[in-house]
Amino acid sequence: MTRHSYAGKTAICGIGATEFSKSSGRSELRLALEACMSALQDAGLQPSQVNGLSTFTMDTNPENEIMRLLGIRELTHFSRVHFGGGAPCATVQMAAMAVNEGVADYVLCYRAFNERSGARFGAGVQARAPVATTEEAQYAWTSPFGLLTPASWVAMFATRIMHEYGVTSEDFGRVAVADRRHAATNPAAHFYGQPITLEEHQASRYIVEPLHLLDCCQETDGGQAILVTSLERARDLRQVPVVLEAAAQGMADEQQMMRSYFRESLTGLPEMATCARQIWETSGLGPDDVNTAVFYDHFTPFVLPQIEEFGFCERGEARHFIADGNIELGGRLPINTHGGQLGEAYLHGMNGIAEGVRQVRGTSVNQVNGAEHVLVTGGTGVPTSALMLGAAQ
Amino acid sequence: MTVTDRTDQTKGADEAKGADEAKPPADFSRHVGLVAPATRSRHAVNEPMIAHWCDAMGDSNPCYTDPEYAAGSVHGGIVAPPAMLDVWDRPGLLFTRDGTSARTKVLQELSEAGYDSIVAVNTELEFTRYVRPGEVLSSVETLDDVSPGKRTARGPGHFVTSRHRYTNEQGEHVGDLMFRMLVFRPERAEALADRGADKPAAAPSDPEDPDPVLRPMPAVNKDNQFFWEGVRVRELRIQRCNGCGELLTPPGPRCPHCGSFDMGWVRASGRGRLYSFAVPEHPRVAGFGYPLLVALVELEEGTRTVADLVGLTRDQLQIGMPLELCWLEGGQYPLPQFRAPLPVRRAGTLTIDDVAAGDPLSLVSLPITTTLVVAGAIATRDYTAVHHDRDIAQEQGSKDVFLNINTSAGLLQRVVSDWAGPEAVYHSIRIRLGAPGYPGDLLTFSGAVTAVDEAARRVTVGIKASDSYGDHAIATIELTLPQRQAS
Repeated sequence: MTRHSYAGKTAICGIGATEFSKSSGRSELRLALEACMSALQDAGLQPSQVNGLSTFTMDTNPENEIMRLLGIRELTHFSRVHFGGGAPCATVQMAAMAVNEGVADYVLCYRAFNERSGARFGAGVQARAPVATTEEAQYAWTSPFGLLTPASWVAMFATRIMHEYGVTSEDFGRVAVADRRHAATNPAAHFYGQPITLEEHQASRYIVEPLHLLDCCQETDGGQAILVTSLERARDLRQVPVVLEAAAQGMADEQQMMRSYFRESLTGLPEMATCARQIWETSGLGPDDVNTAVFYDHFTPFVLPQIEEFGFCERGEARHFIADGNIELGGRLPINTHGGQLGEAYLHGMNGIAEGVRQVRGTSVNQVNGAEHVLVTGGTGVPTSALMLGAAQ
Repeated sequence: MTVTDRTDQTKGADEAKGADEAKPPADFSRHVGLVAPATRSRHAVNEPMIAHWCDAMGDSNPCYTDPEYAAGSVHGGIVAPPAMLDVWDRPGLLFTRDGTSARTKVLQELSEAGYDSIVAVNTELEFTRYVRPGEVLSSVETLDDVSPGKRTARGPGHFVTSRHRYTNEQGEHVGDLMFRMLVFRPERAEALADRGADKPAAAPSDPEDPDPVLRPMPAVNKDNQFFWEGVRVRELRIQRCNGCGELLTPPGPRCPHCGSFDMGWVRASGRGRLYSFAVPEHPRVAGFGYPLLVALVELEEGTRTVADLVGLTRDQLQIGMPLELCWLEGGQYPLPQFRAPLPVRRAGTLTIDDVAAGDPLSLVSLPITTTLVVAGAIATRDYTAVHHDRDIAQEQGSKDVFLNINTSAGLLQRVVSDWAGPEAVYHSIRIRLGAPGYPGDLLTFSGAVTAVDEAARRVTVGIKASDSYGDHAIATIELTLPQRQAS
């Protein structure tokens, strides 16, 4: 049994975000700084107390500029995690490991972008110059054939999931409907006050069949920061500490970047299984202990295998788990209570960590009563990460 | 596949759009119902012409060419392919008929009035019995109908219908043909533009421009260059470790199975099955034709590859369906793509007990090549220039030579025969012709058994041949299948 030593000894002591919009009107650097300041204020800390930063390799905001413009005196830890949306929970894990090792005291994890008004991922990769790095060369197996967008890459998996497990587009749609219902009561969400019906989901146009428009996340401008320290220090701060009960990264089984088309089965998420094993072993918890979950939902289809890989139901049974109402508020495992990336904002999963924190604090707009253990996951179809957040004893 | 020039020709020629009001209606009624004198074929039914026809159509049914097999077959000897019925009495390259038949007179009058272009629209062949080498056929033509002026997608025109009755030297009736053609005045470019049919050419980087040269380039490096060198010579290569023989996809510089850095490759057979697919619709990107069907193909060798599907429609896709490799030309690299398999001839013949109404025919496809168009036209003694001379075809407004209706009939007969087996006996082939078949395109045949009369052992098959312009030919074919042999 693996038990990570930072688990139970590190905590999230602050969260902060900008507004989520279609056009921020500000630079990505400013969004990052605003989010970091917001997290510091949430915790009641000064920038000078921060000595660690962790972000995504994809983030355009360099640590030296964050340090200089926030007024951080010096950094003893700065780390980045690769593979796009797979990184969010891993930045928190990097921070926790640095804190637990005594390398840093307070580590800000951040992600900020103008992903909506600037370069949209959904616009596709066709404009890329063919620079023959190993990563770029991998696009040669898909781009010349018209698979150019994340939606198109996921669609190939979705078709196979439907074929093998009898999953229908309505099953994917139920995830979108739950997300949007939760977003409808969240004033910070893009789709605040705008729930959808399954009929509307079905009637929305195809982006890449089998994915309808309403299976796809809400591309966003914004920034989110998460502040990590030791549980001991967190106890003295303004907010109730949210303990890192477990954190994990996972990469497995012929892993490719969103296009793991060459692994034996396309219906599971082996990298998420790698995360799940570590989460359960480190936290000592099991599926029955989890009160609510934030599943990465850039596209609805991959929510189903996440439910399965974490053992909330058997392989191939997620469609029944969902259809039976388990993912709704009041259900067995309410998911994405902030509205998810379909309803609140697509922020590479960092906003999902903040929602996990709010659930443990008891401050979510869609609070699950007695939420003691909250699972949060990173990107699907990519090398990924996950967190188990819990209340301090 | 060439993916250009999708203009008004996508519409069937017989889509009547109301009377042509520009000219006063001509009166052809005095010709209708007239019977022309019998025409005697120039040559007897003969084995060399049969063999040429079979070569052109790719029909390897041994009842037509293998004396020994044919002798033991339901026919008791060599027979001519039934779809050749209206080939035997054709005059050939240098011979023209005198203008005495009613149909010839009507065509002459129409031509003088500016209706100088002709396309075949329907052909209905009915066979009383198969004909054999040595028989000399005669035909009698009756002008059945000349339609009032119609406005069609190709321009104003008249549909001219004739009937042809075929007999042998003894006067024995062997079959009939009903033939309908559209005789039309090609729409002038200005008129098409007025109706918005003549779209301007796509601007560079226009997302609607399907020119494959605009597709994203692959990034080629030392680890994948064997693959991109392979496509240049139309080989789909799979990396194989020279140390242990394991295949590796995607490729890399080291074998994870045995640790060797000595990596080679094998050429994929090109056969595979549909493992999954996606249908990108938004955003549309230059270089791709939409609807775009992108497949994840499981190759026979066991690895997978992403490639576009060609000649198939979304509703034809079924996970697990067999596919075969072909190539998209015209881009910066030739790109592998997959189509329905070529037809494979069944060795034995289906019995009446083997089929039921609703049974689908296997989806198959045939590339249209210039050779097919020209060989098919000549093998059916159709020397109309648009079927063998590209310059003349283009002068007359086509983008290239195109399939003649007899070749379409021959291909339909071949595909159904490949499915049913060599001793299926045809009673009729009825075809409605639509979109043109140009070289570089692909004909995909989809069909099903629509009716089974067990007592008569009669089966009706509905079959459609489609290409990138739409439905090229829609056919109904009736045939008799043998009884199952008592074992």
